[in-house]
Amino acid sequence: MTAPAQLVLAELKACGIDLVASLPDKWLSDILDAVEADADVTHVRVTREDDGMGICAGAYLGGRKAALVCQNAGVLLSTNVLAGYAFHHQIPFLVLAAYRGREDDAYYYQIYKGRITVPVLEAIGVPYGILDDPGDFKRIRDYQRQSQLARMPAVLLMTSRALAGRG
Amino acid sequence: MRRGIATGLIKARLQPTDVVLCGLGSTGRAWREHNAPNPTYYASDPMGMGPAVALGLALAQPNRGVVLLEGDGDLSMNLGALLAIAGAAPPNLRIAVFYNRRYETGGGQPLAAAGKISFAAIARGAGFPWAAEIDDGHAAEPVLDELFARTGPGLVVFPIEAEDSPYPPAGDLAQSEERILFMRALHGPS
Repeated sequence: MTAPAQLVLAELKACGIDLVASLPDKWLSDILDAVEADADVTHVRVTREDDGMGICAGAYLGGRKAALVCQNAGVLLSTNVLAGYAFHHQIPFLVLAAYRGREDDAYYYQIYKGRITVPVLEAIGVPYGILDDPGDFKRIRDYQRQSQLARMPAVLLMTSRALAGRG
Repeated sequence: MRRGIATGLIKARLQPTDVVLCGLGSTGRAWREHNAPNPTYYASDPMGMGPAVALGLALAQPNRGVVLLEGDGDLSMNLGALLAIAGAAPPNLRIAVFYNRRYETGGGQPLAAAGKISFAAIARGAGFPWAAEIDDGHAAEPVLDELFARTGPGLVVFPIEAEDSPYPPAGDLAQSEERILFMRALHGPS
């Protein structure tokens, strides 16, 4: 079976995304290693997730497709930026976020993130999807297309089940 | 130095293919008054995103120079962006910081550590290969010449006089409409 990280990278490339900004999470190590190892993809490390969104926005202005890979804490931190690009600038890009803090997460300090991520995304009106199985990675292209059509970002929350290939 | 002088010095050094990105606030208003022919995006809100957007734009347009005209308030909000820029090291990105030590549009309140900051030292410490501060108006031209002669990323800090910058009325265009016009100027009609 193809490793989840390779599935994600292949989907991003199939979407024409060749620029990835990232801030690490343990669940994302394989994806980030795959991105870093791919000579056809530019990998930019950021210190805050909203910077990654700014990079994606700038890339779109310049005609290049980009995505941000981060933890859901970064989505929460970046709500102002996410909403600003959704409604003020109307700029599309994908955010692929590890969905920490749900029942499958054994760390107490992640729990609050699991509880509030979806309610926050609902509140700011930014489209999101939950990828809960390695087979769900094929939906990345659907969200990319919808993001481009709607001229707004989309957030994909990746569960441990999907990222560990336990579909 | 007055903002309009600083932006004029930059305009005089741009190539026709260069792209300009303005952070939000008074810096962008000063640039607008020059009516430069270069494609220009006025980044507006969200505040703090100027450097990151400029980095994305520079990586997407490697055959053009990208110049970010950045207020000190916008840059202060997100200094970590300088590390991302230093790491990616786009050779075509140059940044001019307008340092007036205060939030001009917001009412003139001082920045944290106003008067103690060296943005050039911060940029060098972040890993920029070159960054410099202009001591006064007389020294500006050779420093700017060096900024544009060197391979990027580079950063120059202008000391800017406090000037009135009243909160302007809303423009005729929504930001999304400004974006479309910018992208058409850059890429041509789709």
